[in-house]
Amino acid sequence: MPLDEFWDWLQNTDLAFAIGATWWFPLLESIHVIALALVVGSIVMVDLRLIGVTARSYALTRISRELVPWAWVGFVVATITGTGMFISRPGAYAANPAFQTKLVLLALAGLNVVAFHTRVMRGVEQWDTDALTPASAKLAGLISLILWIGVVLAGRWTGHLN
Amino acid sequence: MTDILASLSAFIAESSVRELVIYLLRNVPGFPPIIQTVHLLAIAAVMGSIVFINLKILGVAVPSQRLSEMIQRLLPWTWWALLLLAISGVVFIIARPDKYFFNPVFGIKFALLTPAVLFAWIIHRKNSSEPGYWEVSVLRRVSARAIAAVSMILWLGVMMAGRWIAYYDYLFWPD
Repeated sequence: MPLDEFWDWLQNTDLAFAIGATWWFPLLESIHVIALALVVGSIVMVDLRLIGVTARSYALTRISRELVPWAWVGFVVATITGTGMFISRPGAYAANPAFQTKLVLLALAGLNVVAFHTRVMRGVEQWDTDALTPASAKLAGLISLILWIGVVLAGRWTGHLN
Repeated sequence: MTDILASLSAFIAESSVRELVIYLLRNVPGFPPIIQTVHLLAIAAVMGSIVFINLKILGVAVPSQRLSEMIQRLLPWTWWALLLLAISGVVFIIARPDKYFFNPVFGIKFALLTPAVLFAWIIHRKNSSEPGYWEVSVLRRVSARAIAAVSMILWLGVMMAGRWIAYYDYLFWPD
């Protein structure tokens, strides 16, 4: 299968070999932890405002404008460090059910972001500063919360199966 | 000191709490990753509370939020997260005390964590007895910035060190 050959080639590149065989792997992993904490820490603050349980004195659009960029910084760093760890054993990760689950959950989180912007945020000006948010906003926040917890769990589980 | 650690480690190794933890490890599917996920989510809560308060003090995050209100609203999350971190962390220690008590990285982690928690407590305490404490004079603003800058380094160090506990042999080769 051509994909298997590609994973083999990738694993045998100098970079992948260096990561897998040295202290590069734990370094990437520890940076990955900090990055994921930044993603989850900032996204959860937005989610809880969406659900309507915290920071209710701030407009939703302000909270999201000031916090979502931090989540993106964390996400980019997590993706770079995650890719680094992935290429050290790409075939094993690709076949790892926990890792596959993590990718599916990440894709669902992405879809939730799209649905949030195209549906929930349309008309946000009517309830932006309200302490009580509409049901669609609560649902988007709750789904995001559950998906990100799932991403962390599946990610941590990945290391136990590899 | 080594003797005390050795007897503490032996005490845990022989206690019935350890039997419970070992039982859970063997019989609850995914017990290790689940407990580690609780630990990671609590780290995210630390990031979303005390770290963002430090970033706010340093003037780089959440410009429209009010510092005094942030401290009151977010620091309780830090305390609850630390409780959760302690509980989930103790489970790891009980399971394999030797792996932690004789691990230099574990020592480094707590050497960084202690002042980090102390600084968070000072920020919380002063603001509780006098809301707006850290914003009213130049001296206090400068002090807050110094505390925030040092705290940032400490918290990031704690998170790094936590992951490196499992890899200490990369740093300290056994004699």
